[in-house]
Amino acid sequence: MTTVLSESQVRFLLFLAEAIVPEVGDLDDTGRRSCVAIIDQALQDRPPPLRRKFIFFLSALRWTPVFRHGVPLDSLRGEALNAALDWFQDCPLPLVRKGFWGLKTLIFMGYYGRPEVGEAIHYTPSFSGNDFLEGNCRD
Amino acid sequence: MIEKEVDVLVIGSGAGGGTVASELSSLCREGLTIAVLEQGPRLSREQFTGRELEMARTLYADSGGYLTKDMSMALAFARTYGGSTVVYTGTSLKIPEAVVKRWSVPDLNYQDLMDRSDKHMAANGVHPLEPDKLNDNNRLFRQGCDKLGYRVQQFPINVRGCRGAGVCNFGCPNGAKQGTDRVQLPAAEAEGVQVVTGCRAIRVGPGWCEACVSRPATGLDPIWEPGDYRIRARAIVISGGAVHSPALLAHSGMSDSLPVLGRYFTAHPALILVAQHDREITNYHGHPKSYYCDQFVESRKFLLETCMYFPFTTAKYLVGYGPDHSRMMSRMDRLQMILALAIDPPRWENRVTADGNGKPMVDYRLGPEVLDALHQSMRTAARIFFASGARRVHAPGGRKFFIEREEQDQIDSLIPRSGIRTGKVGVASAHLMGGCRMGRDSTDSVTDSHGRIHGVPGLYVADASLFPSCSEINPYVTIMALADRVADSVRHDLPELRHS
Repeated sequence: MTTVLSESQVRFLLFLAEAIVPEVGDLDDTGRRSCVAIIDQALQDRPPPLRRKFIFFLSALRWTPVFRHGVPLDSLRGEALNAALDWFQDCPLPLVRKGFWGLKTLIFMGYYGRPEVGEAIHYTPSFSGNDFLEGNCRD
Repeated sequence: MIEKEVDVLVIGSGAGGGTVASELSSLCREGLTIAVLEQGPRLSREQFTGRELEMARTLYADSGGYLTKDMSMALAFARTYGGSTVVYTGTSLKIPEAVVKRWSVPDLNYQDLMDRSDKHMAANGVHPLEPDKLNDNNRLFRQGCDKLGYRVQQFPINVRGCRGAGVCNFGCPNGAKQGTDRVQLPAAEAEGVQVVTGCRAIRVGPGWCEACVSRPATGLDPIWEPGDYRIRARAIVISGGAVHSPALLAHSGMSDSLPVLGRYFTAHPALILVAQHDREITNYHGHPKSYYCDQFVESRKFLLETCMYFPFTTAKYLVGYGPDHSRMMSRMDRLQMILALAIDPPRWENRVTADGNGKPMVDYRLGPEVLDALHQSMRTAARIFFASGARRVHAPGGRKFFIEREEQDQIDSLIPRSGIRTGKVGVASAHLMGGCRMGRDSTDSVTDSHGRIHGVPGLYVADASLFPSCSEINPYVTIMALADRVADSVRHDLPELRHS
């Protein structure tokens, strides 16, 4: 349940999330919900105009590929999908590049912001980190 | 509207406000009243969990991603008891003489700044970290620089009993970092200074301030009841930082009488650069920032520092996505990181203003000289990474996601200048400076060299917004030294100042 995004926007966001962080595809329902909840919270925290810009950008991202590929972005797969995403990332228009960066940021926040991701990425900090340095430093 | 009256009001509790409060606190013994207003919450020790999103949301404005108007740079500044001194890494450097000379502020003496810097560095326990507490991420940087013949130096840091939690940017869970939350504010409170958290200053004028107190979502209750306040004070010191201080003055209608207000904002725009080693290295255990390389500050306009960030922060500053990105992120224990900071020139058009609700708006353009510096910093960092034994390097403006060790002789062609495109490459800043620059009069500045706002008796500024141009090093010691001067001027002026 989200407060900012509609169900169809969430589905599209999860489709994008899997393209951007392939491990999202391995998450169970709880993991996906947790991911979406983090993104939703981040959007709630942002000013309404920025939220509106983001939702508009999501729509643009979904439908712009129709002009080139004849189908929306979430109907593309493999190389075609990557080519479309690369186009947004490298777009000549700075505003589009910034929008894509914002989208990636939210997706990374959703996936890597979950405390439980630590083990999977070999990130297990400790409040007494100096204890781990003894005998571990290599010159 | 609840009425309050104090002798001195300080707005902000970070390096500037905390120092002013502490320096003036002895006045409480003479029966004077001092209050510090802090927008953010005051946390108990247990609330410093080190968890990335939770702490970013609690401690930072916009979770640390406060966007400039054109959305090309994310600004990180804290709102909490102690301000940004809670979330920096404690690196404590004195400003170079050449920078103070360039500032050419009448009556601002370099030796005076050094003496005041020394005083606060001693109070905050500044010293270099012991060699056995340096992790591989830091040692490898030093080795790489040594191998290439680059000048590299160790940061003095302000910690007491550091246990190496490595989460300095989310507040020290062990209470080791000696920010104003640990040193100046408790000392001031012991003398009778009131620190009101959850309190947002809305407007200021000569002898008055309107503010609003509310209960924060996290943290201890404010010491004043929630509500709207009008506070009368003989002296008001604005120490909200380089974003909030100019915005507060602009929202208070002072832009017309102070044409330079908000102008010449600088930020040390920064890139996070990442390399991967073949083996595990110690990186997120231990203090994250021990060395810096200032070899290229004059010639190429960038400074390199060690750093170690957290999973989400790291992920968002890598350019790209998909399997390569995941491959890099999957082994956080093999990552080496360098922070590259551009020495950005002060520009009239880089400016802080306020919207109708008083929310700061930062209009900053990453100019060609900054992009040039960031480009050169990427090439240099890549060389340092490889010299320290890295397997592969990620350069955000590179032609490919990874530059492999075997390709290190092609660094220049693999990291072209054209790759540095705003929006694609994530640029961040945590050193926010300027906007209320010191100078001669209102035609060239907002304050004099003692932080007195031109033409408004009893109103002062004490924070990094005073810097006429960027400090070219981590700024907090310089902020404290300047705040110490401002406290002296308040003490000097007080007998002439009356409640309005």
